[in-house]
Amino acid sequence: MEIQKFVLKRLIEIFVIFFVILTVLFLLFRLAPGDPVTRMVDPTMTPEDAAYLIAQLGLDQPVWLQYIYYLKNFFTGNFGISFHYGVAVFSIILNRLPNTILLFSTSILLSAFAGIFLGKIASWHKGEKIDTWMTLGALICHTLFLPWLALIMIWIFGFHIGWFPLNGMISPEIWLDSSSGFWLKFLDVAHHMVLPLATLFLIHFGSYLLLMRSSMLDTLKEDYILTARAKGLDEKVIRNHHAAPNAALPVVTSVGISLAFSLSGGALTETVFSWPGIGRELVFAVSNSDYPLAQASFLLIATVVLISNLVVDVLYAYLDPRIKY
Amino acid sequence: MALLTVKNLSVGYHTRKGFLKSVQGVSFALDQGKSLGFVGESGCGKTTIGMALMGLLPNNASVTNGEILFEDQDLLKMSKKEIQQIRWKKIAMIFQAAMNALNPVHRVSDQIAEAILAHDADISIKTAMKQVESLFQLVGIPPDRMNDYPHHYSGGMKQRAIIAMALACHPSLIIADEPTTALDVIVQDQILSAIKDFQNKLNISVIFISHDIAVVADVCDTIGIMFAGQLVEYGRIEDVFYSPMHPYTQSLLSSYLTLNKDVVQLNAYLGKTPDLINPMTGCLFCERCTVAEATCSFRAPEWVKISPTHKALCSRCK
Amino acid sequence: MTKNRSIQISNDNKRSPQKSPMVDRFLEGWSVYKESLIGKIGLTLLVIFALMALCSFFPPMIDPMYHPMTGVDPQISHSTSPSWRHWLGTDFIGRDILCQLLAGARIAFMVGISAAFMSILLGTTVGMIAGYSGKIVDTLLMRLADMIMVMPTLLVVLILSSLFGQLNIWTIVLLIALFRWPGVSRVIRAQTLSLKERPFIEAAKVTGASHFRIIFRHIMPNVLPLSLLYMTFRVTSAIIIEAALAFLGFGDPSTVSWGMMLQWVWKTGHMFQAPYWLLPPGICISLLTLSFYMLGRAMEEVLDPRLRKEVAQE
Repeated sequence: MEIQKFVLKRLIEIFVIFFVILTVLFLLFRLAPGDPVTRMVDPTMTPEDAAYLIAQLGLDQPVWLQYIYYLKNFFTGNFGISFHYGVAVFSIILNRLPNTILLFSTSILLSAFAGIFLGKIASWHKGEKIDTWMTLGALICHTLFLPWLALIMIWIFGFHIGWFPLNGMISPEIWLDSSSGFWLKFLDVAHHMVLPLATLFLIHFGSYLLLMRSSMLDTLKEDYILTARAKGLDEKVIRNHHAAPNAALPVVTSVGISLAFSLSGGALTETVFSWPGIGRELVFAVSNSDYPLAQASFLLIATVVLISNLVVDVLYAYLDPRIKY
Repeated sequence: MALLTVKNLSVGYHTRKGFLKSVQGVSFALDQGKSLGFVGESGCGKTTIGMALMGLLPNNASVTNGEILFEDQDLLKMSKKEIQQIRWKKIAMIFQAAMNALNPVHRVSDQIAEAILAHDADISIKTAMKQVESLFQLVGIPPDRMNDYPHHYSGGMKQRAIIAMALACHPSLIIADEPTTALDVIVQDQILSAIKDFQNKLNISVIFISHDIAVVADVCDTIGIMFAGQLVEYGRIEDVFYSPMHPYTQSLLSSYLTLNKDVVQLNAYLGKTPDLINPMTGCLFCERCTVAEATCSFRAPEWVKISPTHKALCSRCK
Repeated sequence: MTKNRSIQISNDNKRSPQKSPMVDRFLEGWSVYKESLIGKIGLTLLVIFALMALCSFFPPMIDPMYHPMTGVDPQISHSTSPSWRHWLGTDFIGRDILCQLLAGARIAFMVGISAAFMSILLGTTVGMIAGYSGKIVDTLLMRLADMIMVMPTLLVVLILSSLFGQLNIWTIVLLIALFRWPGVSRVIRAQTLSLKERPFIEAAKVTGASHFRIIFRHIMPNVLPLSLLYMTFRVTSAIIIEAALAFLGFGDPSTVSWGMMLQWVWKTGHMFQAPYWLLPPGICISLLTLSFYMLGRAMEEVLDPRLRKEVAQE
């Protein structure tokens, strides 16, 4: 019962935050220099189409009414027509969303698990060579510049060694061929995903490793570890069963805190690898002054961040029995 | 034949400032079913003795001398594996309630069952849980609280759970390190009764470590007073309590105001804790002692046998 | 047996003449810092980069073709590999890469430190006010902080640039500061909350000090070390955000930053043929980030004694 109340409370909070973001964006939209109408409606449209769209979006109404239209449109999924693609923005971002979620969630899960696992091992061997190498490696990876790392990955693994495709998510030949089965398509996507995934992984796992390592070292000083030793338990059991679950908790929190940063990184990765996700769409839209698409992409990304935060919070509450809702 | 015989145990810690002699030449013996208390101020080495017995000394500690004979085997010469097997099964420990002795992310029943399962390869989880239930009954925790997490327990309940955990493998010896510190007096009383209870019923030996001499007097048969790493007085509780010989013991006892005596001048003393890295050659208590002589500062005191069951480390008490 | 003994208090702690407490604390901090290997490496790297930034003024003075933005070599108009004339080679229109690199160092420091400084200023003030005021003000401010913290700074600047056009470098710095202050404010708030209860604050209140005075004269000096620590972390994120923006093409076109250099390499299709152009800017960004991070970690050890090498417990 209580967890549902908790989720509900958080959903309301998310809603409020979202509302604030929408409003601020609307205000900025009105305050920005230039004509709001041409920003939202492609001037190269036919006058009839343009008039229809303007009426739909309420751009010919007084400001306060525009605001109402704006909110209503947002919740009905009417984001306007993209300048660049010429189709409804909603259909574009709906198409891109799964791609981003795929890449993003896989990379977070992978780097969190790897960070926790390796950080645990590093703490076991504190002071030894393996620890020094791991810590150094994590530190270096953590401070690499993401776009640059992406370029290097493409250059080495895509261009020189040629193991992986240089960009994109799919090989059109495979997907256009009607005889390709599910597994072939699956493998194709996976093949394209390796480099962007590796890039994101390298950037993020470092901080989780370092955090887990120091968390383990702190946890191993706790009294209940002494109890576990006094019980005559094996050192391995103590580390894995008693210390690690406690030490991993701050790492989970850290994943939640760095979600915004991870999404920025995701957008950069998508752009360099031409992975057709929302992040890339946002970047392109801004470059092309395609405001309807830019706005919708941004709002969708904000939603993703907020929902992911909620997911992490729920996960943490599940893992730590001390949390009361 | 004594269950536990400690001969000349010396333990020290490697610190940045030097080697700190935490325990110096401590010897004592304990029979099955009897209880021994160690009393002293913070830093006197009593906890270190407890840790040394369990083999739980930290990495920067070394045992520089002595033997710990438990059931005729020297614990100090045992391998890690052998010690792991003895831990909890033969010698268990009760920690302070205020400590985080229970893992916050595991249920209390699981943690106790873990101890049982670790030392009995054949037992099933169901049977282990049944044993946990009976342990809870023994220490007086309602069985419906078994599956709670530690943070749901009050201080007194936590301490009972810790006691239950210590009893889980039916050890021969339990080391209780300040089990009643940080508990209010009523709960203190309950815990002490519980300890006396299982000691009698199950014939378990207890080593009780505390800074509170009154608490030790309540539970123990024999008492050892510790100061600056040394045992300075040792004997049956009646002997030491009613005729304390060592000046330190005397000052400890007189620090208590009693309700049924006239108000006596409090024998407060001031002074620095003795330097344990470079201890002086004479009696370590010399600086604080009210009856010290000139020779006390350079001649180490020797044990004086006051009665067959009572001895004190002081040149002045003859 | 019991004797009356007069209590003697020995006064063997003679006070040494006091220097300024700030200098004392700094020197003490420095001696701890020196022991940290990470701190020393970080500081060394930082000094190297600072020198690079300073040196960036010289090449254009030697010869105008070395100017990072406008420098055109009359003999070269495409990307070439390193040579004696151009130690790191040239970019796609013949500009010297090393000069660009040096100029980039200057921009990085400028952006990093100003953005960090502003966000710390904002974050510390908000944190102190929130912690000190409590109740409604505290809740409101922290809610605001939460909302801002949820936003991916890079993407926010992107959408703002779509509304307001090409952004100038100082606007970028300001925006970064506006979105990075929440992290600091939480920590400062926590520190303020614990300081609030201390006797010296009570004493100040009793003597009639105004809230303003208490905050800025009494609380601020005590939270300042923490602020400085967090400033080092903010510098790294500011540098990275600016570099990412420039990389995507939304930086200030009149400034040559390392991110901008990477954008040129990428967009002009020289990624695969010009490692002398691709590698240096990325390495510099990473190393500078690393050095600030190391500085921060070493400072952490200075400020939090628990992190220092362990002393034996009893």
